[in-house]
Amino acid sequence: MIGSVFLETYKQTWKQMVYWGVGLAAMALMVVLMVPLFDMQDIKDLLETFPPIILAMVGIGKELEIFATNEGFVAMGFFGKSALIFAVYPVVMGMRITANEEDSGTMDVLLSLPVQRARVIVEKFIAYSISIVGVVLLIYLGMQIGVSIAGIDLDVARLAEVTFYLIPLMVFIMAVTMLIAVIVRRRSVALGIVTAFVIASYMLQAIGAVAEGTVAEPIGSISFLTYYNAGDILTQGFIWPHIAGFVVVSAVLLLASLYQYERRDIAV
Amino acid sequence: MASATVIEIRGLSKSYGSGTKQTAALRNLNLSVHQGEIFGYLGPNGAGKTTTIRMLLDLIRPSSGSASIFGMDIRDHSVEIHRRVGFLPGELSLWEGRSGQQIIHYVASVHGDSKGITKQADELAKRLQLDTSKRVRDLSSGNKRKLGLVLAMMHSPDLLILDEPTNGLDPLVQQTFHEMMDEFRDKGKTVFLSSHILSEVQAICDRAGILRDGDLKAVESIEKLMNVEFHWVDVQFRDAVPEGLARQLQQSSEISDVAVNGSRVKMRLVGDFDPLLRMISDGYVKDLRVEEPSLEDIFLAYYSDGREAR
Repeated sequence: MIGSVFLETYKQTWKQMVYWGVGLAAMALMVVLMVPLFDMQDIKDLLETFPPIILAMVGIGKELEIFATNEGFVAMGFFGKSALIFAVYPVVMGMRITANEEDSGTMDVLLSLPVQRARVIVEKFIAYSISIVGVVLLIYLGMQIGVSIAGIDLDVARLAEVTFYLIPLMVFIMAVTMLIAVIVRRRSVALGIVTAFVIASYMLQAIGAVAEGTVAEPIGSISFLTYYNAGDILTQGFIWPHIAGFVVVSAVLLLASLYQYERRDIAV
Repeated sequence: MASATVIEIRGLSKSYGSGTKQTAALRNLNLSVHQGEIFGYLGPNGAGKTTTIRMLLDLIRPSSGSASIFGMDIRDHSVEIHRRVGFLPGELSLWEGRSGQQIIHYVASVHGDSKGITKQADELAKRLQLDTSKRVRDLSSGNKRKLGLVLAMMHSPDLLILDEPTNGLDPLVQQTFHEMMDEFRDKGKTVFLSSHILSEVQAICDRAGILRDGDLKAVESIEKLMNVEFHWVDVQFRDAVPEGLARQLQQSSEISDVAVNGSRVKMRLVGDFDPLLRMISDGYVKDLRVEEPSLEDIFLAYYSDGREAR
């Protein structure tokens, strides 16, 4: 029956989605509750004393003005420094699409049933994408609760944009993980490659930001994290070309995974 | 056999690796399994049994050759085939955090007839005395195996593919399993069963194939295998073994494995008894015992180099 793998995947995942969502929402809540404790102008002045490489590593670009605002503080305190944290959940979910099931042997049972390999991947991909939406919604809820408790003046619509921008980013990371796991088969090897990919992207983004105006600047554009910059989103709102890029590349990665998985042996 | 062919395997081979590191797991397998029979697929670990089964289920792809089930190609029609097949893997892994009941519902929903299938699953679980309310991680290996059997049989498949099905089952449940297989066959359905337990194959199978290092060495009916023309003969003389008898026996082309122990001589005899009776007639034969070869003897005979059972 169409949707059965999706439903079961969701049943097996919703608890982890809640745990991760609540955990990240608690972090967001904490950052929002810290807003009244600081003078944002002091923060901006402090940031100006930091070397650009340090700022780049926490996701802060050249537009320091934005960080003199409450929204900028939240963006810097939560979305900027948590870039690597946001990568963990989609990597975990991406590994579950094929690698974990092959590693444990349950994929043999599943694929001995009347179901196509492609259907298994697509239904799982959709289920885990929805769980990513769930995690992001919980993060947003955490921030909203923080705003209500702290009673601060915050542009909620702008923060919503920064928050929901996480969805295409996280789905993209999940798609990358899935494709790597489909290609290399072994869970531990796939995990190592994905971790290296995320860390390398993080470093490239930082180098690209620091090297602005030099020949090394294009290096940053290789990193997917360059296309998720909390400061840019706060000033410009949704950057649709970047979102479309994440969506299109994720779709291509999904198709590549389907193609490769259909061709190869299921690991034991 | 006049009945329809359920599994047809033609020149199926599977190799892993490439270049000098390439190893053949299965070589040029040709085999037919017919409707209404229980086919035993015998061989030690690493012989290629699981490789064959995983290829039949389209989990791994052949290096060469092809196979069909119910007349449909295993690669082109895997979904249609799987609708009519029940599978129990040798090393059964299930979703540890889910209960037996939840897994039954999941598998039933993939099959598409959740209500009817779960009712059948309840009956099977009752018969196998399985508590499906427990989580998989809390089940013993034997109970996990029972759950695997329920999952394989609950949609009333036409073909069961079972990899070492009784591993971990206690003797009483094994007996129930044998009865279930007999009933399954009586309904005109087919079982392809891999095992290294010869007594089990002997007890429930109609035909058996013997696999060794990726090569199918023989396919015979169990009845014919049991009628293989060799016997173990144990001769007990009243006095010492007649002089020169041992050498005479060893020189005979029909006799092998001659072992002299005091006044007893044990040997393996192929063919008629008369030449042996003439050879031992010089002594006073106190006792003479003839043992039918067990399937294990036949199995070992196939496996001994340069001396296959006839």
